[in-house]
This record gives sequence, structure tokens and C-alpha cells, in this order.
Amino acid sequence: MQKNEMPSGALVLLILRVLRSGPLHGYAIGQRIHTLSSDALRVEEGSLYPALQKILLKGWVTAAWGTSETSRKVRFYKLTRNGMKQLEVEASQYNRQTKAIRAILRTA
Amino acid sequence: MRELLRRIHYLLHRRRFDDELAEEMAFHRDMAEQCGGVPLDDALRLREESRDVWGFMWLDRLGQDLRYAFRSMRTSPGFTAASVLVLAIGIGATVAAFSSFNMVALRPLAVRDPETILRFQRHAPNRSGSEVPYPAVAFYREHTRTLSAVLAQTASRLSVEGVERPPSTFFVTANFFDELGARPRHGSLFGVGDDRPDAPPAVVLGHGFWASHFGSDPSVVGTSVRLNGKAVTIIGVVAREFSGLGGDDPAFWALLDHHGYFVHGSQLLTDFSSVVTMWGRLSPGASPQMAADELTTLAAELRRQHPRDVWDGERLLGEPGGYAQLVGATSMFALVGALVLLILAVACGNLGSLLLARGASRQREMALRSAIGAGPGRLIRQLFTESLVLALMGCVGGLALGSLVLKGIMVWTEAPPWLDPTPDWRVVTFAIAIGFLSSVLFGLAPALQIARQRQKITVGRTLLIGVQVASSCVLLIVAGLLARAAERAASTDPGFDYEHVIVLEPSLSEHGYTASRAREYIQDLSVRLRGIAGVEDLSVTSTPPLGGLTITASLQLDGRPLDVYIHQVDPQYLTTMKIPLLRGRNLVDGDDRGVVVSESLARRKWPDRDPLGALFKIGDEALTVVGIAGNARSLAIRDPEAVELYRLAREADLTGLAMVARTAGPTDAMASAFSAAANRVDPNFRPQVQLLKDQFHQSVGDSERGAIAVSLLGVIALAVACLGVVGLVAYSVAQRTKEIGIRLALGADSRHILRSLCSQFGGTIIGGLVVGVLGAAGLAQLLRRELYGLSTIDPIAYISAIVLFLFAVGLAALWPARRALRVDPLVALRCD
Repeated sequence: MQKNEMPSGALVLLILRVLRSGPLHGYAIGQRIHTLSSDALRVEEGSLYPALQKILLKGWVTAAWGTSETSRKVRFYKLTRNGMKQLEVEASQYNRQTKAIRAILRTA
Repeated sequence: MRELLRRIHYLLHRRRFDDELAEEMAFHRDMAEQCGGVPLDDALRLREESRDVWGFMWLDRLGQDLRYAFRSMRTSPGFTAASVLVLAIGIGATVAAFSSFNMVALRPLAVRDPETILRFQRHAPNRSGSEVPYPAVAFYREHTRTLSAVLAQTASRLSVEGVERPPSTFFVTANFFDELGARPRHGSLFGVGDDRPDAPPAVVLGHGFWASHFGSDPSVVGTSVRLNGKAVTIIGVVAREFSGLGGDDPAFWALLDHHGYFVHGSQLLTDFSSVVTMWGRLSPGASPQMAADELTTLAAELRRQHPRDVWDGERLLGEPGGYAQLVGATSMFALVGALVLLILAVACGNLGSLLLARGASRQREMALRSAIGAGPGRLIRQLFTESLVLALMGCVGGLALGSLVLKGIMVWTEAPPWLDPTPDWRVVTFAIAIGFLSSVLFGLAPALQIARQRQKITVGRTLLIGVQVASSCVLLIVAGLLARAAERAASTDPGFDYEHVIVLEPSLSEHGYTASRAREYIQDLSVRLRGIAGVEDLSVTSTPPLGGLTITASLQLDGRPLDVYIHQVDPQYLTTMKIPLLRGRNLVDGDDRGVVVSESLARRKWPDRDPLGALFKIGDEALTVVGIAGNARSLAIRDPEAVELYRLAREADLTGLAMVARTAGPTDAMASAFSAAANRVDPNFRPQVQLLKDQFHQSVGDSERGAIAVSLLGVIALAVACLGVVGLVAYSVAQRTKEIGIRLALGADSRHILRSLCSQFGGTIIGGLVVGVLGAAGLAQLLRRELYGLSTIDPIAYISAIVLFLFAVGLAALWPARRALRVDPLVALRCD
């Protein structure tokens, strides 16, 4: 389990990214990240929900009650315009950082 | 910003959000289980972690802690009451001291717009004066633009029929009351226009004098009194709340323009040599600097007209005038502050040890709390919250107690009525700050120790008891020193006869006398006074004994300054005051270069040679020592080391001379005869006549009052410290009941048990005593600068304070310890 955890900064980026294609509920966010990473990344409940609360407070997403595929009442998270901007900022920042890290790994 | 709003939104609706989160996470869990996921972590903890992101957990915890604190206080009301009381005493003493400082020094006087009032003083490169000649004031008033009003005041003592001691009269400008927003209690006050030359003279009564002399009778308005024998109409009584600008409450207010009417021969309005106090009200938009600049320019202009009367390079500097002047009182306040902080230290030390003792009995509770997951930080926070709540309650109690004490002090010392003792925001802020500080002092150390669950909490306890012992010891010793100083001042021989001396102060310069007229007055009066039966000796002096006026010369002796009190007298002074001439000869008439020195001065200045014939320099004058007189502290009654000299009064001193007379019998019945005799010499005024013994008892009484006040503080500190010792020993007995039971069952002697109980604290108490004695010695050095006659090494004061302390503490320890001896071994062994 330990090695599938991810740094919390990256988690925010991933949540914002998977929400870009449309509103999702908490469990689905976790699942989507899990599938898209080809089962390499696993989002634990203990880090997902605090991260979601933080993003809500920042105003990057809004939450609204809806019905799940199993017809249960559940909260759907939707990306806001601010969230979109934040996603771009974080994505480019992430790219810059990984590029730099990769460069070091190659040459050093 | 938005984020903060959202946070607050979460806070307000947190119950709903909490439910939603719970529901959401339950859904997540179900889905995970359906997909065959592993059962996850504890749901409640996960939810709390998510909730933590909202950022208001501390508020929840604070609420929790507060609820808990109140609950635990309710379960032990005795402990709560005792600690709030102890704390209220400590904070109350501090608050009372601070509010009196605030009342006198920080709050402005009770006048309209005190911030824009400036008091002006004269400064020149080589001289300065605190007051300004009236003609200059009039000139400035006429020409100034930066000041919207100029006020002036001067005080005189005018005799009133039926009043033994001439009360003070303040002569002011006609705009004084209007400008300061004073209101009459009855009748009316002066207004602009009352100073017209043809306006009839009138006076306004001060509130205090109206109450004490006229029995608060409103019908005195419109009646006539005689001041200095001059009839004048009372037009009103000033309101009680009006402070004036001088801080005193005079018997009468009169107009400066009428000074000549009351005071025969007064040149105040025209003469540059007599001065008045000057204030100005800043015009809107003007700064104090602008006013000072303008007045300095005006002074230069005035100097062109009066080159001899206005100084070269004279500047007028304005300083805030709307506040009471506190010359020399600051160090006294510092001293009182130090003493009350000691009380606070005792109270905090006391409460700290109470909390420690209580904490020890809460060990089980603390162990349980940490077992179910409370970290040390959380425990400290909870314990500290309890202390804070206590401190807050102590604050409220202290504020109430402090203002009560202050009101009591004000009645006791007859404080001026306009001083308002009700606490203002400064006092309340101060009380809260002190409360917080004390909660840190008494609460933090026990909280740390308890939370760490040390079995042996001796270090903190030792420290806290030591603080109490040391502080209360300092207070007791200082009280002892003060009491001894007061006692010595009352009992030791001041070196002169005060029982049979009458002092008569004509204050001739205030009544427009010149030197030659003053000489005639004194000669005439001397003849009349000698004619009164019972008068044995008669003399003059420029500094009447115990009159408050002193003339000193500063000497450098071995690099240290020494103030010499100078008596300007006539040859009969020593005989009149019964000051013995030890060696050499007395002064004789025309002996302008001769000087008689006191024995103490002779010893200090010429320790190893014969002072007779030696030269003594005062300024540029060289005097020859002709005689040595006994020490007489007539100008510095409380300073046993005062040194003085006697020389002949000169021409220039004549208008300021007072007369002293020694009588054969008691002085009490003779004062009126003296007053009548003086009135026959000049019917225009009655001089002030005083019995020297009254003044002596009054000045001794001052030091007695100081000693009583500090003794009271000392006793309070001792009582609080004893309370602490009682609690501590009682606790120790309770803790060791089982052990004592076993010892008793095995046949231990009761004395052994007592000894083992008491020896536990012996070292701490001795250590605290040593620190206390050192601290008291240090504080006594500071005190000495304020109160003469205080010996820093007074073994009796030290020993009696220590004995009293040990006695009280011993009793306090024995009382609960006795309970240990009544322990029934069977019961003791059966209990836990």
C-alpha cells in the first residue's frame, strides 16, 4: 500500500485533472485515478477526503448532491473556472519540475 | 478573503457539513466493499482528519476545554473559591497601584480639551524659570496668534476671619473658568468682563473649603467675607469635579486684576520681578512648536522694550499642561509598584503550589486521558485553559477589590475630589494583562509537570514555595524597616525644641514689602511679641523649621555630592531653638563672613583637623567657621545624616523672613495673641501662625502612615504565604497517611513524625528566607533615596521580620501536621 501512495501536491493536480471531463463523486474520482494510472496509483480515503475539503475551501470545485449509478444519494464535485486555471498552473508547474528532474537523472 | 468567508461558512454550518461528509464517506466505503476492497481505517478518525482542513478544530477544542474547566471547578468549589480569592488579592493590589498611577499621571486633568493646553516656562542659555512675569503674560496674550487663549494663575495665602491658618487663594485670569469648561455648583463663576477696572471685587469658593468651612450651605452665595480684612462678595461655588490646572483645591478663587485690592502694595500686575504660572490654549491648527516659536519671537520683541527684565536669548517652551505635574513622585510609584508585584508573586506562587498539589491528586485522571490518546500538548492545553479561567475570575475579583481599595485610600489620604477612581480602559487592559501574566506564572509550570506525569513534582513545588517565602519576607522586612524609621523619627531627639516654639510667617514679599519696610515691620513686631507674657526668646530665619522651604548648597566630598542645609538667621536663633553651641562662639550682629556649622558637617568636611577658623565656600563667598553647633534636623526631620550651617540673614533676605519664638509654657493658647499682634503692626493682613509641635507631629505622622500601609501589604503577603504552607503540609499529610499509619503502628514517636513532615520543606523555607533578606536589603537601598531615616542594616527590623515569619509559617505547618498524629493506624492501612 505504501508505495502506491502519492505526494499530496500531486493528488490535488490529479483530482482537478480527472474532474475536467465532467463532475464525479468521491469514490469515482478515486477509481478513475486508479484505472487511468493502470492500477499503479491508489487513492486512500484518508487522503482523498481531506484533499477534497481543501479544494472545496479554495473554491476550485463545487459540490452538489446527485444520484449515483447505484441510485444512492452522493455528492458530485464539479470543476469551477478558478479550478480550471489552477489546473493549468499546477500542470505546467508539474511539467517543468519533472522535466528538470528528468534532465538531472539523465546527465548527472 | 473568499477562502476565509468559506471557512466561516463551514464553521457556522459545521453540523450539516459534518453529516454530509459522514454520508459521503459511508457511500465510499460501501462501494469499496462491493468491489472487494479492503476495509479501511477507522471512519471517525478519517472524518476528523478531513474536517480538520476546515481549520476550526481549535475552537472546538477550546469549547471542550472550557466546558471541562467549569465542570471541574464546580466539583471543587472550595479550591476554586480559595484560588480566586488569593488571585484577586494579588491582582487587586497591583490594579490599585496601577489605577492610582493612571488616575494621577496618565489621565488628563478634569478640564475641557486638556490636550490643547500648554504650560509655558522660561528658558535662557544660563538660567530658567518655571513661571513668567505677569506683564510679559499680558504682552503675549495681546500679540499671540497661535494661542486662542492665555491663562495665568498665582497662589497666595490670605487671612480669613475665624480661620487659624490662612487658606490658599488662587488668583486667575478672567477667562480661566470659561476656557477650562468649569461649571459652578452654586451661583456663578468669573467670566470675561469681570476684570473691567470698575467691576466690584468678587471671589468664588473652592468646593472643599465651601464644604468644610461653610457647611455646604448654598445660601453663602451673595454674602460677603473679609479676606485680608477686605470685604468681598462670594459670587459662586465651583463644581466638585473641576480640577483646575494646579492640582490643588484652593479655598478661594479671585481675579488677578484684584490682587492689589486684597494684597496691600501688590505690584504683581506691573512688576517683572513677581511671577505667575502661564498656560496657553492652542489655536485650531497650531502646533506646540509653532506656539513656542512665536512666543520666543515675542519675547525678543519684549526684550527690546524691557532689556533688563527679559533675559538674553529667552525662549518660552510649552509642555503639556493638561496633566498633573508629578515631580519626584515617579520613583515613589516605582517603589509601590515593586511592593505590589511582590504581593502578586506571593499570590501566584501560592496558587501554583495549590495547582501542583491538586494536579498530583489528578494523576489517575491524566494517566487515563493519555491512555486514550491525549498527547502531552493536549493535556497542557487543557490544564492551562483551567488556569486561564481561574485567572479571568481572579481578574474580575481583582478589579473589584482594587477599585475598592483605591477608594479607601482616597478617603484615607483626603485625595482631591476631582480624581475619579472608576477603572477606565487602561486599568481594565492592565488587569487582563496581569491576569494573563499570572496565569502563565502560576499555571504553566504545574501544567507542564502534571502533563509529563512526573511522580516527583518537587522541583516546581520547591520553586513556588521559595518564591512565596522570599517575596513575603521582602515585604515584611521592608515594612519593618519603615516602621522602625517612623518610630525613630518620632522618638529620637531632632536636635531642637519643638514643644515650645511658635512660627510666624508674614510672607512679606507677597504683600508688596520692600527690604527697608520689612526691616521696620520685623522690628515693630519683635517689640510687640516680646511684650506678650510667656515669650522667652525671639529670632528670625529665612527657612522656618519644618516649613518645607529649604536652601541648600551642594558640596563635593570625596567625589560624592553632599547637600548642606543653609539657615539664614539672626544671632538669637540657636538659643531660641535650643540648639546647643558645642565649641567656638555664636554669630554676632554684623558677622557677615562668619558661619556656625553643625557638628555633623564639621565631622564630614574636616574629619582630621580643627574646623574652627577654617574657610567654607558657598558659591563665590568664603566664610570662616566661628563655631560648632549641635545637630538639628529642623529642615530634614527624616534624615539623620543631614548637615547644616547657620549664617546671618542679609538685606536681600528680609522680605522672606519668618519669626520663631520660644515660650515658657505650652504654646497652644498663644497663637491667637501672636496673630493679633501682627495684625496691629500691619492691619492689611494676618500672617500664618503655627505651633511647631503640630508640624512636627504631622511630618512624623506621614512616615507612620507609610509604614502602616506597607505593614498591611506585608501582613497580607504573610497571610497568603501561610495559607500556601497550610495547604502544602495538609496535602503532604494526606499523601503520606498510609506511611504515617505504618510508622505509628510500629510505635514511632509523634515528634519524629512531625519532624519528618516539616523537614521536607525546611530547606526551601530557609533558601527563600535568604533570597528574601537579600532582596529586602536591595530594595531598602532604593527606599533610602526616598525616605530618610531608613537604615539599610537595621538588625532589629530584619530579625523581628524573620522571627514573625518563622513563627507564622511554623504555626501554619503545625496545624495540618497535627492531623497526621491523630491518624488511626488501622484506618490508614485500610485506605488505598
